[in-house]
Amino acid sequence: MLRSAMNMGVYSSHMNPVTISRAIISINQIGLGHVSRLFSTSIVTNSQETNAKNQPKRIIPLAQSKYESKDYKLPKWKESLGEFVISSLHLDMDKVRAGPIAGSYYYNICREQGLQVEGEKLSPSAKYFYETLKLPRTFSQWFQITALHEWMLFTRMRAMPFKYGRNYQQKLVDRTFSDIELRLFDEMNIHSGRIVDQYLKDFDTQLKGAVLAYDEGFYTDDATLATAVWRNLFAGRKNIDINLLEDVVKYIRSQVYIMSRLSDREFATGKFNFVLPTETVKKLSPEEELQRKKNVIEKYEELEKSGLMLPSEKSNLSYSN
Amino acid sequence: MVRLLEKFPEERMKHMVSFKQTQLNRFKRVAGLQVDTNNNLNGENDPKLSINEIKDMLNRSKGPLGLQRDDLKKIQAVIPRDQFTEQDLKKQLESLKNLMSNKYQNYYDVGDKMYKPAGNPQYYSRLMDEINGQKKETFFSAMKVIFFGK
Repeated sequence: MLRSAMNMGVYSSHMNPVTISRAIISINQIGLGHVSRLFSTSIVTNSQETNAKNQPKRIIPLAQSKYESKDYKLPKWKESLGEFVISSLHLDMDKVRAGPIAGSYYYNICREQGLQVEGEKLSPSAKYFYETLKLPRTFSQWFQITALHEWMLFTRMRAMPFKYGRNYQQKLVDRTFSDIELRLFDEMNIHSGRIVDQYLKDFDTQLKGAVLAYDEGFYTDDATLATAVWRNLFAGRKNIDINLLEDVVKYIRSQVYIMSRLSDREFATGKFNFVLPTETVKKLSPEEELQRKKNVIEKYEELEKSGLMLPSEKSNLSYSN
Repeated sequence: MVRLLEKFPEERMKHMVSFKQTQLNRFKRVAGLQVDTNNNLNGENDPKLSINEIKDMLNRSKGPLGLQRDDLKKIQAVIPRDQFTEQDLKKQLESLKNLMSNKYQNYYDVGDKMYKPAGNPQYYSRLMDEINGQKKETFFSAMKVIFFGK
């Protein structure tokens, strides 16, 4: 399926990041603490699920934070209190937004790519990874898929102003590991903190290695990138189908391409979602690109001039690059 | 296919197994060519790795942590077996050609916006210098990265 020029960024329809950012920020301001546990779904565990194999086990839903649910609405008074605090303390919203956008929204889209929920059908992207690519359905494989998507976001975050981009990356990684830690305890049924720590260190090494390898491949050529994918995502499988390898390389390049066409402002406010691996991204022609840029600039200029922006929606990031 | 694989770029970092070598061995067998069994999975002509290199490789990659045998079996079961028809091979060849001709990097060209990212323009060139061993980080530049982040 070819994507048309204007909805190339695939704007997320199910949640509005701006409201979410507002929600969490104002909550933080009035001291209700922040949300660390996430989502009520649980993942099928493969590699360590030993004792739960025979008897059906009740899955402990991981963290149901109402603030991150799709249809949560903050009470008006909390919202206005939050806005008041932001405007009176002159908070740098670009910095504050890193939490809800990178830590929550972006982490969740990375996480969902390879997520398998027990008793539920695979999502289309998970289907691609586990069925088309024939990857084993394990926790560490899920981590590799997530790491790949996070790295793609890193490449774009580096292109943001350093102060903000760095913060976004940090939030994304922080959230990844706190989530993994929780899930190792809850879903994988590990009771020993020492073993979980060991796993976390292992995942940390994997993430560093993957980022290094992908960076090298991204900067040099497709062949190197393919090797990096083979080594990390496919775990160095000997009889790899090179068609699939090519597919993944194409997938990566196209996602990064989409991100590169978004302005800092759009990316930082969470206007990006991954295109399904089964779809093809059509390149914009130079005219279309100019037109898109013009539209974006017009849209934001109008917003800035109108004075209708709430203090929490303000941003210093450029919308013209 | 084998000929093309032989032109596949060498990896800049040494790993336990190399993509080029494993694939070469695999397709040489298909093509009925002799497979060099002496050179290990490492690299083509330089099995002479220094002790430091080996240590580095072992430090970087640990074995699968705590995986039980039946899990390994499960993983094995998912991995498809090789069964080549002529058509398959042609497809593989086509893909390999695409990869080696940089088709996707050229098509989805992202430009300097991503290759010299605004937040850290030197990022990739420093990385490549380090990997290729052209310019090593000094102690002070390393400390600078630790304290200032770039």
